[in-house]
Amino acid sequence: MAAANHDDPWEVLRGLPMGRRVEISDDRGTTWTGTIVPRQEMSGDRVVQIKLDSGYNVGVLVAPTFRLRLLEASTAPAGSIATPSSSGAVPAAGGAPWVALLTTGGTIASRVDYETGGVRPVKEEREILSFYPELEAAGRVRIVPVFDRLSEDIVPEDWLALATKVVAAFTGGARGVVVAHGTDTLAFTAAGLSFLLADLPGPVVLVGAQRSPDRPSSDGPSNLAAAVHVAHEGGFGEVVVVMHAGLSDGRYAIHRGTWVRKMHSSRRDAFHSRNGPPLGWVDAKSIHWDLPPRASAPRPARVDGPLDANGGLLWFYPGLTPERAESFARGLRGLVLAGTGLGHVGSSHLDWIRGALGRGQVVAMTTQCLEGTADPFVYATGRQLQRAGVLYLGDLLPEVAYAKLLWALGHAADAKAVEALLLADVAGEFHWRHESGGDP
Amino acid sequence: VKVGLEVHQQLATGKLFCECPSDLSEEVRGSFARPLRSTSGENRAVDAAAVFQAGRGLRYRYEIASTSCLVEMDEEPPHPLNPTALDVALTLALLLDARPVDEIAVMRKIVVDGSNTAGFQRTALVAVDGHLDLKGKRYSIPSICLEEDAARKVRESPGEITYRLDRLGIPLVEVATGPEIEGGAEAREVAEEIGALLRATRQTRRGIGTVREDVNVSTEGGRRIEIKGVQELRKIQEYIDREVGRQKLLLGVRDELVRRQVPPPSAETTDVTDLLPALSVGPLSGPTRKGAPILAIRLPGFGGLLRAPAGSDERLGRELADQARSAGLHGLIHSDELPGYGIEAPDVERLRTGLGLGPTDAFILITDPNRSRAEAALSRVASRAAAAIEGIPGETRDPLPDGRTRYSRPLPGRERMYPETDIPPIPVTPEHRARLAAHLPERPSALRDRLARDTGLVREVILQLVAGGRAELFEELLGRGHEPSLVARLLIQDLPAVPHGEGEPEWEFPSATLDGLLRSTESGEIAKEGIPRVLLELAKGAPSVAAAIRQAGLAGFTAQELDALVERVVAENEELVRSRGSEAFSPLMGDVMREVRGRRDGQEVADVLRRAIARKQADPAA
Repeated sequence: MAAANHDDPWEVLRGLPMGRRVEISDDRGTTWTGTIVPRQEMSGDRVVQIKLDSGYNVGVLVAPTFRLRLLEASTAPAGSIATPSSSGAVPAAGGAPWVALLTTGGTIASRVDYETGGVRPVKEEREILSFYPELEAAGRVRIVPVFDRLSEDIVPEDWLALATKVVAAFTGGARGVVVAHGTDTLAFTAAGLSFLLADLPGPVVLVGAQRSPDRPSSDGPSNLAAAVHVAHEGGFGEVVVVMHAGLSDGRYAIHRGTWVRKMHSSRRDAFHSRNGPPLGWVDAKSIHWDLPPRASAPRPARVDGPLDANGGLLWFYPGLTPERAESFARGLRGLVLAGTGLGHVGSSHLDWIRGALGRGQVVAMTTQCLEGTADPFVYATGRQLQRAGVLYLGDLLPEVAYAKLLWALGHAADAKAVEALLLADVAGEFHWRHESGGDP
Repeated sequence: VKVGLEVHQQLATGKLFCECPSDLSEEVRGSFARPLRSTSGENRAVDAAAVFQAGRGLRYRYEIASTSCLVEMDEEPPHPLNPTALDVALTLALLLDARPVDEIAVMRKIVVDGSNTAGFQRTALVAVDGHLDLKGKRYSIPSICLEEDAARKVRESPGEITYRLDRLGIPLVEVATGPEIEGGAEAREVAEEIGALLRATRQTRRGIGTVREDVNVSTEGGRRIEIKGVQELRKIQEYIDREVGRQKLLLGVRDELVRRQVPPPSAETTDVTDLLPALSVGPLSGPTRKGAPILAIRLPGFGGLLRAPAGSDERLGRELADQARSAGLHGLIHSDELPGYGIEAPDVERLRTGLGLGPTDAFILITDPNRSRAEAALSRVASRAAAAIEGIPGETRDPLPDGRTRYSRPLPGRERMYPETDIPPIPVTPEHRARLAAHLPERPSALRDRLARDTGLVREVILQLVAGGRAELFEELLGRGHEPSLVARLLIQDLPAVPHGEGEPEWEFPSATLDGLLRSTESGEIAKEGIPRVLLELAKGAPSVAAAIRQAGLAGFTAQELDALVERVVAENEELVRSRGSEAFSPLMGDVMREVRGRRDGQEVADVLRRAIARKQADPAA
């Protein structure tokens, strides 16, 4: 079937479906034969992207004088997505201990389509197990898709939905729960779950991947296997994050959910505990604890909700005007400030802060240093803020303080009660001692 | 024979996807280890090469070199493609009359041998449909690609391969020719011309390993063989010629196997440890003393076909041993080389009887402490023997320093490639092409003509300078006022002669150093015969030309000192001069040269000596 086209070939090409085989001849006599692949979003006008038979993609700028032939579809070219084999059967609900794997989207639960280069989510349990054959090395896993969202699209209400699924998994007999999550806001979710989950009978392990699973070098499979290992064998009752401990595969850090932060945009070992070492480490063989994890609760797990999303987090910076800050704070029930140094904002901000406090808003202070304690007593500004009623939250990370604020706002109506909750040790989030050692 | 080439040339532009320099480094700042997973499970077509590598169960360690950053470690996304490297590739495309693509799409090509930290190599098709005209023949250039070089393998131990990240990411221009080359000599000429074109861009790295050729060889009745990574251009011819010989032998073996109606051998192994006495010599003796079993497979009908026929260096036995090696063993012993290796004739008979084999049959012996590895190796050997009945299996082969090649892995299937989504498509605009076209470098043919015209040197010398990639340096030194023949001699004779380690690149020195050396020669401080000795001292680490001259013992022999030396030698041999006259010149020249070689010019010494002898003859009392 050769449909010669004497009009502008671009008009035909732009309407062709992906996967259509074409032959384009240019004015010079060069012929491009291949398969139409989706237009790159950053491609130029009149450029068609073709996958040549050599496997290379090229963009051809189609002039009106070029000739186009539509070719019969070939057999599926190598490199296309195949239906995954059922190498990983769904575990039976028999007596063997199992952990639940809650998927939320993100790099760890996405696949690259080799034909188009696009990333698509993986939802089928069978498919996930076929991609991660080592997943069940440490024991049985049941996969529970919760939602499919990039982590920057996850909102505090989702923490609550996730907490409900975690409790359901424990109620259903899970030994532990693994949550696969995009890494961008993984630490926020870890903190949120730390406050929202009470009486945990087993580990809740958040895990992600910094490299997409299409790469043979992806950290996803080994992170996931380590997380499943910790969920199966950990025998503790709190929310943790398990991710690469260094550049090498084989050693993973176990971070408390309220101590951890993503400290690098791309490295595998991006997650670090702040203000002290991680709780422990896991490798292929064993789990090693530097600090004792919280013990599992003898009671059934429960969701300690609700939360009230009407709180905010504001990063102070030189040049932030009181007007801007006040407008940000307006209407919120509570606000966490990430202040400079020991927990300061410019003295010109005192007025609106006093006003907010007077209207019954909660204003809490953390340090944007991300390491060390916020302390109001060293400098005059701190003393003034403290006297005005700003609540200093010790060494809580700004994001953790924000998550805790939403949880506290959900649990109390008046500011004094919210403040009392903020100062309480709910999930082991405060460090009361700071040792030297390790790099900050 | 039909040959196609892929020439890979490293560029000195800085790395392709980060801001690191295109330099190797001996400064290692730590290391990390990773396994690579084969992601082939998601493809219908499982890539034979990928599975082969993944099946080796290796761990990869990466040395962090000072010329690498987080990008090479696969810990940071790639930076935008290096625009200078792209210009070099596009310039080459224009020199080869190729058609650049309108929008370049960087691809990820899956490579799971560990040489890329990500498990893929980034590569882009830059131009198609070019051609090269050489000696009246036109060779097609189907593709010109720009890709990143792989990490450099520095060590291999059981279960772990160590790579260094310095080489990873250095830009490579890949120029592929069509299969129109008809022999080894022609292949070398084409490769040299492509190399000269690349160097014309003046952005290429120099030295061994900076140009690598993949050579595709097909003979009639054979299959395509890829000899991957030939580093020495002058060896291309030898590799091709030997490959043709190897294929010829294998086709002969095939014909004989077919004539004998030999069935494919089975991979069933037999433990023959008890059929042999305790061995005290040979490759089997060490492992067996430690308790490793000796395993055998039968090759019925293969008797006499494993050894090299008279007058040939090639043999099927070596092909089988390569398979054992690729499974991690040191090698194997085949029955055509027995008795030997400590195995006596009666042992061989006992083995034959024990294995139920007759005189036209063959067998293979292997030992390894790891029994499953030994069995895996024998299974590969049996498959290779079965393939011998069909003819020549298509495969990738590694070039060896002695001109032979060795089995490396199965031929890869169609490359598994998908877009590098971290890099947007790169437009090649008509304006961009026009800008490059307006500043095209001088083509090698024009360069050769110009140099011959300007320097008056013979054509052969010019050819060597251009083909050897030294034209640029040559011109620079001429620009500093040096004499063409002296510079040419330095670059094509003295420099390549400085001893360098096996597999090491030829010595290179900064042009300022060579400039100083030439000045010392031209001023008469040293003779041109002394240049090799000064270069040797520089290679040994002398900090300057002056120091090298001192260390070579060439310093401070003035014209006056030469006169004095000649006078003394002539005086000491007064009798000889008197009896032989000018015939005394040769022996005395030898005596003087022993003292002054490299320090004074030979012609000058001869002149001084002749004059002294003449004076002595004229006035014996002087």
